[in-house]
Amino acid sequence: MDVKRIFFCDNSIDGIFTAIYLAWSSRYGHANIKLEEMCEQCNYSNMELFSEYIKVDTDFTKAIMVSQTIKKKISEEAYQMVCRVALSDYYGKADLIYRFLILGFHVGEKVLDHLSDEVVGKVYSVNKNVNNEVHHLLGFVRFSEQNQGLLVSAIHPKNNVLSLITPHFADRLPEERFIIYDENRNTAALHMPGKQWILAEVGELDINKFKEFSTEEDEYRDLWKIFFEHIAIKERINPKLQCNNLPLRFRGYMTEFSIKNE
Amino acid sequence: MVVQENMSIQKKLEILSDAAKYDVACTSSGVDRKGKGTGMGNSIAAGICHSFSADGRCISLLKVLFTNECIFDCKYCINRSSNDVVRTSFTPQEICELTMEFYRRNYIEGLFLSSGILVSPNHTMELILQALRLLREVHHFNGYIHCKAIPGADPEIIEMLGWYADRMSVNLELPTAESLKELAPHKSRKNILQPIRQIQLRRESNKNYLGFPDRMSKAKKLITGEEDHDIKEIITNNTSLAPYQKNSLMKRSFVPAGQSTQMIIGATKESDYQIMSVSQALYDNFDLKRVFYSAFMNVNHDNRLPATVEGPPLLREHRLYQADWLLRFYGFNTKELLDEKHPNFNVLLDPKCDWALRHLEQFPVEVNKADYYSLLRVPGIGTNSAQRIVAARKSAVLSFSDLKRMGIVLKRAVYFITCSGAMMYSIKVDENFITRQLLSIKDRLPFGIEHDITYQQLTLFDDAKFLQDEFTNKYTCHELEQKSAMKIANI
Repeated sequence: MDVKRIFFCDNSIDGIFTAIYLAWSSRYGHANIKLEEMCEQCNYSNMELFSEYIKVDTDFTKAIMVSQTIKKKISEEAYQMVCRVALSDYYGKADLIYRFLILGFHVGEKVLDHLSDEVVGKVYSVNKNVNNEVHHLLGFVRFSEQNQGLLVSAIHPKNNVLSLITPHFADRLPEERFIIYDENRNTAALHMPGKQWILAEVGELDINKFKEFSTEEDEYRDLWKIFFEHIAIKERINPKLQCNNLPLRFRGYMTEFSIKNE
Repeated sequence: MVVQENMSIQKKLEILSDAAKYDVACTSSGVDRKGKGTGMGNSIAAGICHSFSADGRCISLLKVLFTNECIFDCKYCINRSSNDVVRTSFTPQEICELTMEFYRRNYIEGLFLSSGILVSPNHTMELILQALRLLREVHHFNGYIHCKAIPGADPEIIEMLGWYADRMSVNLELPTAESLKELAPHKSRKNILQPIRQIQLRRESNKNYLGFPDRMSKAKKLITGEEDHDIKEIITNNTSLAPYQKNSLMKRSFVPAGQSTQMIIGATKESDYQIMSVSQALYDNFDLKRVFYSAFMNVNHDNRLPATVEGPPLLREHRLYQADWLLRFYGFNTKELLDEKHPNFNVLLDPKCDWALRHLEQFPVEVNKADYYSLLRVPGIGTNSAQRIVAARKSAVLSFSDLKRMGIVLKRAVYFITCSGAMMYSIKVDENFITRQLLSIKDRLPFGIEHDITYQQLTLFDDAKFLQDEFTNKYTCHELEQKSAMKIANI
């Protein structure tokens, strides 16, 4: 039996794509290859026996070549799905993408119709999970206004969705300066009027620095809470339905669920 | 009437959101619009929910009344002129500030502006128009706006509003003209249908003007509301477009997200069949995007109206929405679901299961061969599942385990489908048997409806005691078994 080769890569789109490039061109045979991304669930403490670990250094040229090949040989839609899977918190996504591409490069754009295939089905379900969280956050993000009109928001999403939600807000608020900070990953999206938004690693950003609310901020927070309270019909109160539609994990940073300021 | 001057904005918002909460159409869907690079706002066709209030309903728009002052006295309405409540009005500036500041903070997707009738329909509509103009032209707000057209206002004003709003709605209030006369003496059905027709015609002409002829409007329309004289009259009359011509600088289309309407359910004696026939006529003839149903609540404790001590009829509302989906997305017709003999929906089974059990001759359906619309008629298979099946069977012959893997829920469908000619279990295609099986599946009702009094019948129904108490007079137990469970449920 051949020794299994495990390509160990960064937990990013580029890292995974580089690993796919190297794994594919290594010609070890698909069955002998496994891809693994570096993440919390997978660390060096549970390495597999009888296998060779190959550390992959992210290489942007190789990653770009893979993404171009996906677009050309499969489709733009498949490429977007693969990217969303790469941004998900699904453990084993690098290998999932690899298996998906084996089939995809073989049958072309029709691969998206192969819903009864286990790998394709999984890609769909992971993709749906990411999309759902993105859609939730488009509504549930709350900005608060700081002293000089800067809008700040903190989120802690399960999937790495910051790069998926920011284009929406940049399009919606073109004349605003805003920051969306992902507390789980210490990354932030920054937007300035008239410029492209950027994604930045911010290290340990002290979110408490952003508590110097503008004078109007408190007033609008109160107004929003008043509205929120009075729009509910009391004969139809239904906490279970509310919880189903708006899971508790989102409520931590939502204005209407925050405890009243003293 | 108590009208308070100099009320704080907090107090106003309290009163005017409280007064607006019974409006049901808080959706922000129907139009995809990119940001302009300046100003503020964009819009997404799927709509975005920004929060969910304690009753579990979505909050998407800042839903407020412009004023709760009203010259009308509709019996079901909290703002009727004979009620002694504190009255107040926003100013157009206040509406704009609230909308802009809420929108910036991502609290809302836009504005939903409705209103009581201050002085006259025209006067109120002018105030609403002022607010909308201010938002669009001064504040450069590019987000979603839904506003009400008030029946009885001049066509010119409705026309002008339509160029600023994304969606407009005229409330039908009650399903039939007689009920309307009884409960809302100041409103007439023709006055309500007229602006709906006006908006529809302008939308069509605007689409043609822009070069997007609506596929739906090209098709020869069936007048389904034949027996409904008001609808027939409005449709067959040649209504001309209102003379207002839009300012050529206004780069907007007319009511791009279409129009909706809403009806109160359970305040009057109409059957589900009558209600659904009206909905069908509205969809077919007026190109409506949505009809909303609002479970009646006797907010005024008016003894001329039915009491709702056990809470609003939520299960009935739920069944109507289920049927409404069947009309819009599943190719069903009201006449298939209900008729004069079965004028109301089954309490225990959803409308599609109910239909399928009465049409067992059309089942089982072969998953690998049946066309899309036949698949859609299988209980438990929705539009997503049907699309997935149609896509997946291009590359593989599907088995039951494939269906499961594709995320298709089989607990209902299993009685109605075959894969490669075989059913999953050996199932007798027999009405009584399948009905019993389906009744044992706990109907997935939205949380909370299980407390609805009508739904309690399900637990009673399973209870032998209920059968004895209620039915021993009519049937012996043996006879009861002979009757289908369905028919009992319909009694």
